[in-house]
Amino acid sequence: MITLRALTKRFGTATVVDGLTVDIGPGQVTGFLGPNGAGKSTTMRMVLGLDRPTAGSALVNGRPYRELRHPLHEVGALLDATGIHPTRSGRSHLRAMARSNGIPAGRVAEVLDLVGLDGRAADKPGRALSLGMGQRLGIAGALLGDPPVLLLDEPVNGLDPDGVRWIRRLTRTLADEGRTVLLSSHLMSEMQQTADRVIVLGKGRLVADAPLAELIAAGPAASVRVRGPEPAGLAALGARLTAERATVTAYDTDGLTVTGASAGRVGDLAYELGVRLHELTPVAASLEEAFLELTADSVEYAAGPAGNEAR
Amino acid sequence: MTTLPTVPPTTRPVSRTAPTTGPFAGAVAAEWTKLWSVRSTWWTLLAAALTMAATAAQLAIYAVNANTDDDPTVNPGILPVGDIVTGSLELTQYVVLALGLFAVTSEYATGTIRTTLRCTPSRGRVLLAKAVVVGVVTFLVGLLLGGVGAAVARPVLGEWGRAPLGGTLGDVAASAAYLALVGVLALGLAAALRGAVLTLTVLFALLMIVPLSLQEPGITVLTRIADGFPGVAGSHFLTGDTEPYPAAAGLLLLASWAVAALLLGRYALGRRDA
Repeated sequence: MITLRALTKRFGTATVVDGLTVDIGPGQVTGFLGPNGAGKSTTMRMVLGLDRPTAGSALVNGRPYRELRHPLHEVGALLDATGIHPTRSGRSHLRAMARSNGIPAGRVAEVLDLVGLDGRAADKPGRALSLGMGQRLGIAGALLGDPPVLLLDEPVNGLDPDGVRWIRRLTRTLADEGRTVLLSSHLMSEMQQTADRVIVLGKGRLVADAPLAELIAAGPAASVRVRGPEPAGLAALGARLTAERATVTAYDTDGLTVTGASAGRVGDLAYELGVRLHELTPVAASLEEAFLELTADSVEYAAGPAGNEAR
Repeated sequence: MTTLPTVPPTTRPVSRTAPTTGPFAGAVAAEWTKLWSVRSTWWTLLAAALTMAATAAQLAIYAVNANTDDDPTVNPGILPVGDIVTGSLELTQYVVLALGLFAVTSEYATGTIRTTLRCTPSRGRVLLAKAVVVGVVTFLVGLLLGGVGAAVARPVLGEWGRAPLGGTLGDVAASAAYLALVGVLALGLAAALRGAVLTLTVLFALLMIVPLSLQEPGITVLTRIADGFPGVAGSHFLTGDTEPYPAAAGLLLLASWAVAALLLGRYALGRRDA
Protein backbone atom coordinates (compact mmCIF):
# COMPACT_ATOMS: atom_id res chain seq x y z
CA MET A 1 0.00 0.00 0.00
CA ILE A 2 1.37 3.38 -1.02
CA THR A 3 -0.25 6.46 0.48
CA LEU A 4 0.40 9.92 -0.91
CA ARG A 5 -1.02 12.88 0.96
CA ALA A 6 -0.80 16.38 -0.51
CA LEU A 7 2.61 15.35 -1.78
CA THR A 8 4.46 18.35 -3.20
CA LYS A 9 7.93 18.84 -4.63
CA ARG A 10 9.36 22.13 -5.78
CA PHE A 11 12.74 22.66 -7.39
CA GLY A 12 13.36 26.39 -7.05
CA THR A 13 10.28 28.03 -8.47
CA ALA A 14 9.18 25.01 -10.50
CA THR A 15 6.51 22.84 -8.90
CA VAL A 16 7.11 19.33 -10.18
CA VAL A 17 4.60 17.50 -8.00
CA ASP A 18 1.67 19.54 -6.81
CA GLY A 19 -0.51 18.40 -3.91
CA LEU A 20 -0.82 14.79 -5.00
CA THR A 21 -3.21 12.73 -2.87
CA VAL A 22 -3.79 9.15 -3.91
CA ASP A 23 -3.77 5.60 -2.52
CA ILE A 24 -2.19 2.77 -4.47
CA GLY A 25 -3.58 -0.50 -3.19
CA PRO A 26 -2.56 -4.15 -3.29
CA GLY A 27 -3.66 -6.89 -5.64
CA GLN A 28 -3.64 -4.89 -8.82
CA VAL A 29 -1.29 -3.34 -11.32
CA THR A 30 -1.57 0.42 -11.10
CA GLY A 31 -0.37 2.25 -14.17
CA PHE A 32 1.31 5.60 -13.67
CA LEU A 33 0.90 7.77 -16.74
CA GLY A 34 1.74 11.29 -17.67
CA PRO A 35 3.55 13.32 -20.32
CA ASN A 36 7.27 13.94 -19.89
CA GLY A 37 7.87 16.22 -16.94
CA ALA A 38 4.53 15.37 -15.31
CA GLY A 39 6.29 14.34 -12.10
CA LYS A 40 6.03 10.54 -12.26
CA SER A 41 9.68 9.80 -11.54
CA THR A 42 9.94 12.49 -8.89
CA THR A 43 6.90 11.00 -7.15
CA MET A 44 8.48 7.54 -7.20
CA ARG A 45 11.74 8.95 -5.86
CA MET A 46 9.89 10.60 -2.99
CA VAL A 47 8.13 7.31 -2.18
CA LEU A 48 11.60 5.70 -2.04
CA GLY A 49 12.99 8.36 0.26
CA LEU A 50 15.49 9.56 -2.34
CA ASP A 51 13.96 13.00 -2.84
CA ARG A 52 12.66 14.89 0.14
CA PRO A 53 9.08 16.20 -0.29
CA THR A 54 8.70 19.97 -0.05
CA ALA A 55 5.34 19.36 1.63
CA GLY A 56 2.97 16.50 2.27
CA SER A 57 3.90 12.88 2.76
CA ALA A 58 4.59 9.66 0.90
CA LEU A 59 4.10 6.52 3.00
CA VAL A 60 4.78 2.87 2.28
CA ASN A 61 2.68 0.50 4.37
CA GLY A 62 1.95 3.46 6.61
CA ARG A 63 5.54 4.55 7.19
CA PRO A 64 7.99 6.91 5.50
CA TYR A 65 10.62 4.98 3.56
CA ARG A 66 13.50 6.59 5.42
CA GLU A 67 12.28 4.94 8.63
CA LEU A 68 12.33 1.40 7.26
CA ARG A 69 15.05 -0.79 8.76
CA HIS A 70 15.06 -3.48 6.08
CA PRO A 71 13.38 -1.68 3.19
CA LEU A 72 14.10 -4.31 0.54
CA HIS A 73 11.74 -6.66 2.39
CA GLU A 74 8.97 -4.10 2.05
CA VAL A 75 9.53 -2.24 -1.22
CA GLY A 76 11.26 -3.32 -4.40
CA ALA A 77 12.02 -0.76 -7.06
CA LEU A 78 13.36 -0.45 -10.54
CA LEU A 79 14.34 3.11 -11.28
CA ASP A 80 14.65 4.69 -14.68
CA ALA A 81 18.41 4.96 -14.48
CA THR A 82 19.51 1.69 -12.93
CA GLY A 83 22.95 2.51 -11.65
CA ILE A 84 25.56 -0.19 -11.60
CA HIS A 85 29.27 0.44 -11.16
CA PRO A 86 31.12 -0.10 -14.48
CA THR A 87 33.62 -2.56 -13.01
CA ARG A 88 31.30 -4.36 -10.57
CA SER A 89 29.54 -7.52 -11.72
CA GLY A 90 25.78 -7.79 -11.56
CA ARG A 91 26.13 -10.64 -9.11
CA SER A 92 28.26 -8.57 -6.73
CA HIS A 93 25.82 -5.69 -7.10
CA LEU A 94 22.96 -7.94 -5.98
CA ARG A 95 25.07 -9.57 -3.30
CA ALA A 96 25.83 -6.21 -1.70
CA MET A 97 22.13 -5.33 -1.82
CA ALA A 98 21.22 -8.67 -0.24
CA ARG A 99 23.77 -8.33 2.56
CA SER A 100 22.57 -4.83 3.41
CA ASN A 101 19.13 -6.21 4.23
CA GLY A 102 20.07 -9.54 5.75
CA ILE A 103 18.87 -11.52 2.74
CA PRO A 104 20.52 -14.96 2.39
CA ALA A 105 23.08 -15.22 -0.42
CA GLY A 106 21.10 -18.03 -2.05
CA ARG A 107 18.36 -15.58 -2.95
CA VAL A 108 20.73 -13.78 -5.34
CA ALA A 109 21.03 -16.88 -7.53
CA GLU A 110 17.28 -17.32 -7.27
CA VAL A 111 16.40 -13.86 -8.60
CA LEU A 112 19.08 -14.05 -11.30
CA ASP A 113 17.46 -17.25 -12.46
CA LEU A 114 14.04 -15.66 -12.23
CA VAL A 115 14.93 -12.81 -14.59
CA GLY A 116 16.80 -15.10 -16.95
CA LEU A 117 20.35 -13.86 -16.39
CA ASP A 118 22.68 -16.84 -16.60
CA GLY A 119 26.00 -17.17 -14.85
CA ARG A 120 28.01 -15.58 -17.62
CA ALA A 121 25.81 -12.50 -17.87
CA ALA A 122 25.70 -12.11 -14.09
CA ASP A 123 29.49 -12.07 -13.86
CA LYS A 124 29.94 -9.42 -16.54
CA PRO A 125 31.04 -6.01 -15.30
CA GLY A 126 28.38 -3.32 -15.31
CA ARG A 127 29.75 -1.53 -18.35
CA ALA A 128 29.41 -4.69 -20.48
CA LEU A 129 25.69 -5.06 -19.79
CA SER A 130 23.20 -4.18 -22.53
CA LEU A 131 20.25 -1.97 -21.69
CA GLY A 132 18.00 -5.00 -21.61
CA MET A 133 20.31 -6.96 -19.31
CA GLY A 134 20.61 -3.92 -17.06
CA GLN A 135 16.81 -3.72 -16.85
CA ARG A 136 16.61 -7.37 -15.89
CA LEU A 137 19.30 -6.92 -13.28
CA GLY A 138 17.28 -4.01 -11.89
CA ILE A 139 14.18 -6.19 -11.75
CA ALA A 140 16.19 -8.92 -10.02
CA GLY A 141 17.18 -6.30 -7.43
CA ALA A 142 13.56 -5.26 -7.00
CA LEU A 143 12.48 -8.85 -6.31
CA LEU A 144 15.42 -9.63 -4.00
CA GLY A 145 13.60 -9.08 -0.72
CA ASP A 146 10.31 -10.58 -1.95
CA PRO A 147 8.58 -7.28 -1.16
CA PRO A 148 4.81 -6.73 -0.99
CA VAL A 149 5.18 -3.37 -2.77
CA LEU A 150 6.89 -2.85 -6.13
CA LEU A 151 7.66 0.35 -8.02
CA LEU A 152 8.75 -0.12 -11.60
CA ASP A 153 9.74 2.94 -13.58
CA GLU A 154 9.62 2.21 -17.32
CA PRO A 155 10.43 -1.50 -16.91
CA VAL A 156 10.04 -2.40 -20.58
CA ASN A 157 12.64 0.16 -21.69
CA GLY A 158 15.26 -1.59 -23.78
CA LEU A 159 13.61 -4.99 -23.66
CA ASP A 160 12.96 -7.07 -26.76
CA PRO A 161 9.39 -8.25 -27.51
CA ASP A 162 9.97 -11.43 -25.52
CA GLY A 163 11.13 -9.39 -22.57
CA VAL A 164 8.13 -7.09 -22.85
CA ARG A 165 5.76 -10.07 -22.74
CA TRP A 166 7.70 -11.48 -19.84
CA ILE A 167 7.34 -8.23 -17.86
CA ARG A 168 3.63 -8.20 -18.60
CA ARG A 169 3.22 -11.69 -17.15
CA LEU A 170 5.51 -10.93 -14.23
CA THR A 171 3.60 -7.82 -13.16
CA ARG A 172 0.33 -9.78 -13.53
CA THR A 173 1.67 -12.58 -11.34
CA LEU A 174 2.99 -10.15 -8.75
CA ALA A 175 -0.37 -8.38 -8.53
CA ASP A 176 -2.27 -11.68 -8.39
CA GLU A 177 -0.11 -12.68 -5.45
CA GLY A 178 -1.65 -9.72 -3.65
CA ARG A 179 1.23 -7.27 -4.05
CA THR A 180 0.99 -3.57 -4.74
CA VAL A 181 2.47 -2.90 -8.18
CA LEU A 182 3.00 0.64 -9.43
CA LEU A 183 4.19 0.73 -13.00
CA SER A 184 5.08 3.78 -15.02
CA SER A 185 5.32 3.69 -18.76
CA HIS A 186 4.97 6.05 -21.64
CA LEU A 187 3.86 3.18 -23.89
CA MET A 188 0.08 3.46 -23.87
CA SER A 189 -0.59 0.19 -25.65
CA GLU A 190 1.65 -1.55 -23.12
CA MET A 191 -0.20 0.06 -20.24
CA GLN A 192 -3.55 -0.87 -21.74
CA GLN A 193 -2.52 -4.52 -21.69
CA THR A 194 -0.99 -4.49 -18.24
CA ALA A 195 -2.70 -2.10 -15.87
CA ASP A 196 -5.89 -2.68 -13.92
CA ARG A 197 -6.08 0.87 -12.77
CA VAL A 198 -4.52 4.03 -14.09
CA ILE A 199 -3.32 7.17 -12.41
CA VAL A 200 -2.71 10.05 -14.78
CA LEU A 201 -0.52 12.99 -13.85
CA GLY A 202 -0.33 16.28 -15.69
CA LYS A 203 1.98 19.09 -14.61
CA GLY A 204 2.38 17.40 -11.25
CA ARG A 205 -1.34 17.26 -10.54
CA LEU A 206 -3.67 14.30 -10.45
CA VAL A 207 -5.62 14.31 -13.72
CA ALA A 208 -7.35 10.95 -13.41
CA ASP A 209 -7.44 7.96 -11.10
CA ALA A 210 -9.76 5.25 -12.33
CA PRO A 211 -10.01 1.62 -13.42
CA LEU A 212 -8.57 1.17 -16.88
CA ALA A 213 -11.90 0.25 -18.49
CA GLU A 214 -13.60 3.29 -17.00
CA LEU A 215 -10.90 5.60 -18.27
CA ILE A 216 -11.05 4.21 -21.79
CA ALA A 217 -14.87 4.43 -21.77
CA ALA A 218 -14.65 8.08 -20.71
CA GLY A 219 -12.33 8.90 -23.59
CA PRO A 220 -13.22 9.21 -27.25
CA ALA A 221 -15.65 6.41 -28.14
CA ALA A 222 -15.02 3.69 -30.67
CA SER A 223 -15.53 4.97 -34.20
CA VAL A 224 -15.54 3.90 -37.83
CA ARG A 225 -13.41 5.53 -40.47
CA VAL A 226 -14.88 5.67 -43.97
CA ARG A 227 -13.17 6.79 -47.17
CA GLY A 228 -14.40 6.86 -50.71
CA PRO A 229 -13.80 8.50 -54.09
CA GLU A 230 -17.30 10.02 -54.48
CA PRO A 231 -17.87 13.12 -52.32
CA ALA A 232 -21.56 13.22 -53.18
CA GLY A 233 -22.04 9.59 -52.27
CA LEU A 234 -20.20 10.07 -48.96
CA ALA A 235 -22.38 13.06 -48.19
CA ALA A 236 -25.48 10.95 -48.79
CA LEU A 237 -24.08 8.20 -46.58
CA GLY A 238 -23.30 10.79 -43.89
CA ALA A 239 -26.85 12.16 -44.03
CA ARG A 240 -28.28 8.69 -43.74
CA LEU A 241 -26.06 7.87 -40.75
CA THR A 242 -26.98 11.14 -39.04
CA ALA A 243 -30.62 10.21 -39.50
CA GLU A 244 -29.81 7.02 -37.60
CA ARG A 245 -28.45 9.14 -34.70
CA ALA A 246 -24.80 8.43 -35.45
CA THR A 247 -22.32 11.29 -35.19
CA VAL A 248 -20.51 12.06 -38.43
CA THR A 249 -17.52 14.32 -38.86
CA ALA A 250 -15.45 14.99 -41.94
CA TYR A 251 -12.14 13.16 -42.02
CA ASP A 252 -9.43 14.60 -44.25
CA THR A 253 -11.00 15.61 -47.62
CA ASP A 254 -12.37 12.32 -48.75
CA GLY A 255 -13.54 10.58 -45.60
CA LEU A 256 -15.83 10.47 -42.60
CA THR A 257 -15.43 9.51 -38.97
CA VAL A 258 -18.56 7.89 -37.65
CA THR A 259 -19.35 7.24 -34.02
CA GLY A 260 -22.50 5.49 -32.87
CA ALA A 261 -22.75 3.02 -35.75
CA SER A 262 -20.89 -0.23 -36.29
CA ALA A 263 -18.63 -0.82 -39.27
CA GLY A 264 -21.10 -3.46 -40.43
CA ARG A 265 -23.99 -1.01 -40.38
CA VAL A 266 -21.99 1.61 -42.27
CA GLY A 267 -21.03 -0.98 -44.89
CA ASP A 268 -24.62 -2.16 -45.31
CA LEU A 269 -25.85 1.41 -45.77
CA ALA A 270 -23.12 2.14 -48.32
CA TYR A 271 -24.16 -0.95 -50.29
CA GLU A 272 -27.83 0.07 -50.08
CA LEU A 273 -27.02 3.58 -51.36
CA GLY A 274 -24.62 2.32 -53.97
CA VAL A 275 -21.71 4.38 -52.61
CA ARG A 276 -18.24 3.17 -53.52
CA LEU A 277 -15.89 2.86 -50.52
CA HIS A 278 -12.11 2.58 -50.45
CA GLU A 279 -11.80 2.19 -46.72
CA LEU A 280 -13.97 1.03 -43.86
CA THR A 281 -11.99 0.80 -40.65
CA PRO A 282 -13.27 0.27 -37.12
CA VAL A 283 -11.19 2.33 -34.68
CA ALA A 284 -11.31 0.92 -31.14
CA ALA A 285 -11.45 3.19 -28.12
CA SER A 286 -8.00 3.20 -26.59
CA LEU A 287 -6.16 4.34 -23.55
CA GLU A 288 -3.96 6.44 -25.79
CA GLU A 289 -6.93 8.45 -27.08
CA ALA A 290 -8.31 8.83 -23.57
CA PHE A 291 -4.90 9.85 -22.29
CA LEU A 292 -4.32 12.43 -24.98
CA GLU A 293 -7.70 13.97 -24.29
CA LEU A 294 -7.04 14.05 -20.54
CA THR A 295 -3.61 15.58 -20.75
CA ALA A 296 -4.20 17.89 -23.71
CA ASP A 297 -4.01 20.89 -21.37
CA SER A 298 -1.03 19.76 -19.42
CA VAL A 299 1.68 18.71 -21.81
CA GLU A 300 4.94 20.26 -20.76
CA TYR A 301 6.29 20.70 -24.26
CA ALA A 302 3.37 21.18 -26.64
CA ALA A 303 3.96 19.49 -29.97
CA GLY A 304 3.83 21.47 -33.19
CA PRO A 305 1.31 20.89 -36.02
CA ALA A 306 3.12 17.74 -37.10
CA GLY A 307 2.65 16.30 -33.63
CA ASN A 308 -1.03 17.14 -33.67
CA GLU A 309 -1.52 15.44 -36.99
CA ALA A 310 0.10 12.33 -35.66
CA ARG A 311 -2.77 12.08 -33.24
CA MET B 1 22.70 -13.25 -24.66
CA THR B 2 20.55 -14.97 -22.13
CA THR B 3 17.26 -16.74 -22.45
CA LEU B 4 14.19 -15.94 -20.47
CA PRO B 5 12.69 -18.67 -18.35
CA THR B 6 9.92 -20.36 -20.28
CA VAL B 7 7.87 -21.17 -17.22
CA PRO B 8 5.60 -18.40 -15.94
CA PRO B 9 7.50 -16.44 -13.35
CA THR B 10 6.88 -17.28 -9.78
CA THR B 11 8.42 -14.92 -7.33
CA ARG B 12 7.88 -16.96 -4.21
CA PRO B 13 11.30 -17.80 -2.84
CA VAL B 14 11.85 -21.32 -1.65
CA SER B 15 11.64 -20.22 1.93
CA ARG B 16 10.87 -16.74 3.09
CA THR B 17 13.28 -15.74 5.75
CA ALA B 18 13.46 -12.89 8.17
CA PRO B 19 16.49 -10.57 7.94
CA THR B 20 19.51 -12.38 9.28
CA THR B 21 21.35 -9.27 10.40
CA GLY B 22 20.55 -5.91 11.89
CA PRO B 23 20.51 -2.91 9.58
CA PHE B 24 23.89 -1.54 10.67
CA ALA B 25 25.71 -4.87 10.39
CA GLY B 26 24.04 -5.31 7.01
CA ALA B 27 25.15 -1.88 5.83
CA VAL B 28 28.74 -2.62 6.88
CA ALA B 29 28.67 -5.99 5.09
CA ALA B 30 27.30 -4.34 1.95
CA GLU B 31 30.00 -1.65 1.99
CA TRP B 32 32.64 -4.33 2.42
CA THR B 33 31.27 -6.27 -0.56
CA LYS B 34 31.09 -3.13 -2.68
CA LEU B 35 34.65 -2.07 -1.83
CA TRP B 36 36.20 -5.37 -2.87
CA SER B 37 34.09 -5.86 -6.00
CA VAL B 38 35.46 -2.93 -7.99
CA ARG B 39 38.80 -2.77 -9.73
CA SER B 40 39.77 0.67 -8.47
CA THR B 41 40.28 -0.72 -4.95
CA TRP B 42 42.95 -3.15 -6.12
CA TRP B 43 44.66 -0.53 -8.27
CA THR B 44 44.69 1.84 -5.31
CA LEU B 45 46.34 -0.78 -3.11
CA LEU B 46 48.96 -1.54 -5.74
CA ALA B 47 49.65 2.15 -6.28
CA ALA B 48 49.91 2.74 -2.54
CA ALA B 49 52.42 -0.11 -2.11
CA LEU B 50 54.55 1.16 -5.01
CA THR B 51 54.42 4.75 -3.76
CA MET B 52 55.41 3.65 -0.27
CA ALA B 53 58.30 1.51 -1.56
CA ALA B 54 59.60 4.26 -3.84
CA THR B 55 59.26 7.03 -1.24
CA ALA B 56 60.86 4.94 1.50
CA ALA B 57 63.77 4.06 -0.76
CA GLN B 58 64.23 7.69 -1.75
CA LEU B 59 64.16 8.96 1.84
CA ALA B 60 66.60 6.24 2.89
CA ILE B 61 69.00 7.21 0.09
CA TYR B 62 68.80 10.88 1.17
CA ALA B 63 69.61 9.84 4.75
CA VAL B 64 72.62 7.82 3.67
CA ASN B 65 73.85 10.64 1.41
CA ALA B 66 73.44 13.20 4.19
CA ASN B 67 75.54 11.01 6.49
CA THR B 68 78.30 10.60 3.93
CA ASP B 69 78.73 14.16 2.67
CA ASP B 70 81.25 16.66 4.05
CA ASP B 71 79.03 18.85 6.18
CA PRO B 72 78.71 17.17 9.59
CA THR B 73 76.16 19.72 10.88
CA VAL B 74 73.32 18.27 8.80
CA ASN B 75 74.40 14.73 9.48
CA PRO B 76 71.30 12.88 10.72
CA GLY B 77 73.30 10.00 12.09
CA ILE B 78 71.87 6.56 12.51
CA LEU B 79 68.13 6.63 11.74
CA PRO B 80 65.41 4.34 13.06
CA VAL B 81 63.67 2.77 10.08
CA GLY B 82 60.32 3.87 11.53
CA ASP B 83 61.22 7.51 10.79
CA ILE B 84 61.47 6.65 7.11
CA VAL B 85 58.06 4.96 7.25
CA THR B 86 56.30 7.90 8.88
CA GLY B 87 58.11 10.33 6.58
CA SER B 88 56.93 8.42 3.54
CA LEU B 89 53.29 8.98 4.50
CA GLU B 90 53.44 12.61 3.39
CA LEU B 91 53.15 11.38 -0.19
CA THR B 92 51.61 7.92 0.26
CA GLN B 93 48.59 9.27 2.13
CA TYR B 94 47.22 10.83 -1.07
CA VAL B 95 46.97 7.40 -2.64
CA VAL B 96 45.46 5.72 0.42
CA LEU B 97 42.85 8.41 1.01
CA ALA B 98 41.43 7.57 -2.42
CA LEU B 99 39.77 4.59 -0.70
CA GLY B 100 37.72 6.96 1.43
CA LEU B 101 37.16 9.34 -1.45
CA PHE B 102 35.94 6.71 -3.94
CA ALA B 103 33.60 5.14 -1.36
CA VAL B 104 31.36 8.17 -1.94
CA THR B 105 32.34 9.89 -5.20
CA SER B 106 32.12 6.73 -7.31
CA GLU B 107 28.59 6.18 -5.99
CA TYR B 108 27.53 9.59 -7.21
CA ALA B 109 29.41 9.26 -10.48
CA THR B 110 27.79 5.91 -11.36
CA GLY B 111 24.36 6.44 -9.81
CA THR B 112 24.75 3.52 -7.39
CA ILE B 113 24.09 5.98 -4.54
CA ARG B 114 20.38 5.57 -5.26
CA THR B 115 20.63 1.80 -4.79
CA THR B 116 22.68 2.27 -1.64
CA LEU B 117 20.16 4.66 -0.11
CA ARG B 118 17.27 2.41 -1.08
CA CYS B 119 18.97 -0.46 0.74
CA THR B 120 19.90 1.65 3.75
CA PRO B 121 17.69 4.74 3.86
CA SER B 122 19.18 6.09 7.09
CA ARG B 123 21.85 8.54 5.92
CA GLY B 124 23.69 8.39 9.21
CA ARG B 125 23.79 4.60 9.09
CA VAL B 126 25.15 4.54 5.53
CA LEU B 127 27.90 7.02 6.31
CA LEU B 128 28.87 5.33 9.56
CA ALA B 129 29.01 1.94 7.81
CA LYS B 130 31.27 3.44 5.15
CA ALA B 131 33.43 5.03 7.84
CA VAL B 132 33.83 1.71 9.63
CA VAL B 133 34.82 -0.11 6.44
CA VAL B 134 37.14 2.65 5.19
CA GLY B 135 38.66 3.08 8.66
CA VAL B 136 39.33 -0.61 9.18
CA VAL B 137 40.62 -1.19 5.66
CA THR B 138 42.92 1.84 5.61
CA PHE B 139 44.24 0.85 9.04
CA LEU B 140 45.07 -2.67 7.86
CA VAL B 141 46.49 -1.28 4.62
CA GLY B 142 48.54 1.11 6.74
CA LEU B 143 50.06 -1.79 8.69
CA LEU B 144 50.89 -3.50 5.42
CA LEU B 145 52.40 -0.35 3.94
CA GLY B 146 54.43 0.21 7.10
CA GLY B 147 55.85 -3.26 6.62
CA VAL B 148 56.65 -2.51 3.00
CA GLY B 149 58.32 0.80 3.87
CA ALA B 150 60.44 -0.74 6.63
CA ALA B 151 61.43 -3.70 4.47
CA VAL B 152 62.59 -1.37 1.69
CA ALA B 153 64.27 1.25 3.88
CA ARG B 154 66.26 -1.08 6.15
CA PRO B 155 68.63 -2.55 3.52
CA VAL B 156 69.03 0.84 1.79
CA LEU B 157 70.03 2.51 5.07
CA GLY B 158 72.60 -0.18 5.74
CA GLU B 159 74.97 0.87 8.52
CA TRP B 160 73.08 4.18 8.97
CA GLY B 161 69.87 2.51 9.98
CA ARG B 162 68.49 0.56 12.89
CA ALA B 163 65.22 -1.23 13.36
CA PRO B 164 64.42 -1.82 17.00
CA LEU B 165 61.40 -4.14 16.99
CA GLY B 166 59.27 -2.23 19.47
CA GLY B 167 59.97 1.20 18.05
CA THR B 168 59.42 0.11 14.47
CA LEU B 169 56.14 -1.64 15.29
CA GLY B 170 55.01 1.48 17.17
CA ASP B 171 55.79 3.69 14.17
CA VAL B 172 54.00 1.29 11.81
CA ALA B 173 50.92 1.22 14.05
CA ALA B 174 50.97 5.01 14.31
CA SER B 175 51.20 5.27 10.52
CA ALA B 176 48.21 2.94 10.17
CA ALA B 177 46.19 5.04 12.62
CA TYR B 178 47.13 8.21 10.74
CA LEU B 179 46.08 6.73 7.39
CA ALA B 180 42.79 5.44 8.83
CA LEU B 181 41.89 8.90 10.16
CA VAL B 182 42.88 10.62 6.93
CA GLY B 183 40.81 8.03 5.03
CA VAL B 184 37.74 8.81 7.14
CA LEU B 185 38.39 12.55 6.75
CA ALA B 186 38.39 12.05 2.96
CA LEU B 187 35.17 10.03 3.20
CA GLY B 188 33.36 12.70 5.21
CA LEU B 189 34.48 15.50 2.91
CA ALA B 190 33.49 13.47 -0.15
CA ALA B 191 30.00 12.96 1.30
CA ALA B 192 29.73 16.71 1.76
CA LEU B 193 31.16 17.68 -1.64
CA ARG B 194 30.19 14.69 -3.84
CA GLY B 195 32.75 15.25 -6.62
CA ALA B 196 36.16 13.57 -6.62
CA VAL B 197 38.11 16.51 -8.02
CA LEU B 198 36.65 19.10 -5.67
CA THR B 199 37.13 16.81 -2.67
CA LEU B 200 40.72 16.06 -3.58
CA THR B 201 41.43 19.76 -4.03
CA VAL B 202 40.03 20.57 -0.59
CA LEU B 203 42.02 17.69 0.91
CA PHE B 204 45.26 18.95 -0.66
CA ALA B 205 44.52 22.39 0.74
CA LEU B 206 43.77 21.10 4.24
CA LEU B 207 46.60 18.60 4.47
CA MET B 208 49.36 20.53 2.75
CA ILE B 209 48.90 23.81 0.91
CA VAL B 210 47.25 25.98 3.57
CA PRO B 211 49.36 24.87 6.56
CA LEU B 212 52.53 25.07 4.45
CA SER B 213 51.73 28.64 3.43
CA LEU B 214 51.00 29.53 7.03
CA GLN B 215 54.31 28.07 8.25
CA GLU B 216 56.37 29.63 5.48
CA PRO B 217 56.80 33.18 6.88
CA GLY B 218 57.88 31.84 10.28
CA ILE B 219 55.46 34.07 12.17
CA THR B 220 54.54 32.39 15.45
CA VAL B 221 50.82 33.14 15.32
CA LEU B 222 50.51 31.71 11.80
CA THR B 223 52.58 28.67 12.69
CA ARG B 224 50.30 28.02 15.68
CA ILE B 225 47.27 28.19 13.38
CA ALA B 226 48.97 25.76 11.02
CA ASP B 227 49.43 23.40 13.98
CA GLY B 228 45.65 23.08 14.11
CA PHE B 229 45.37 21.63 10.60
CA PRO B 230 44.84 17.86 10.27
CA GLY B 231 48.04 17.05 8.37
CA VAL B 232 50.26 19.03 10.76
CA ALA B 233 48.48 17.56 13.79
CA GLY B 234 49.03 14.13 12.31
CA SER B 235 52.74 14.71 11.75
CA HIS B 236 53.19 16.00 15.32
CA PHE B 237 51.59 12.72 16.37
CA LEU B 238 53.76 10.63 14.06
CA THR B 239 57.05 12.22 15.08
CA GLY B 240 56.16 11.94 18.77
CA ASP B 241 56.54 15.68 19.38
CA THR B 242 56.08 17.30 22.73
CA GLU B 243 55.85 20.82 21.28
CA PRO B 244 53.56 22.63 20.61
CA TYR B 245 51.37 19.90 22.08
CA PRO B 246 51.92 16.28 23.06
CA ALA B 247 51.75 13.58 20.39
CA ALA B 248 48.48 12.23 21.79
CA ALA B 249 46.89 15.67 21.35
CA GLY B 250 47.94 15.59 17.71
CA LEU B 251 46.16 12.27 17.28
CA LEU B 252 43.08 13.64 19.02
CA LEU B 253 43.09 16.75 16.86
CA LEU B 254 43.30 14.69 13.67
CA ALA B 255 40.50 12.44 14.91
CA SER B 256 38.39 15.53 15.61
CA TRP B 257 38.88 16.65 12.01
CA ALA B 258 37.73 13.22 10.80
CA VAL B 259 34.64 13.30 13.02
CA ALA B 260 33.83 16.87 11.96
CA ALA B 261 34.10 15.86 8.29
CA LEU B 262 31.73 12.93 8.91
CA LEU B 263 29.20 15.22 10.61
CA LEU B 264 29.41 17.64 7.71
CA GLY B 265 28.90 14.75 5.28
CA ARG B 266 25.95 13.46 7.30
CA TYR B 267 24.35 16.91 7.23
CA ALA B 268 24.81 17.23 3.46
CA LEU B 269 23.52 13.70 2.77
CA GLY B 270 20.41 14.37 4.81
CA ARG B 271 19.56 17.57 2.99
CA ARG B 272 20.40 16.49 -0.52
CA ASP B 273 18.09 14.72 -2.96
CA ALA B 274 19.83 11.62 -4.24
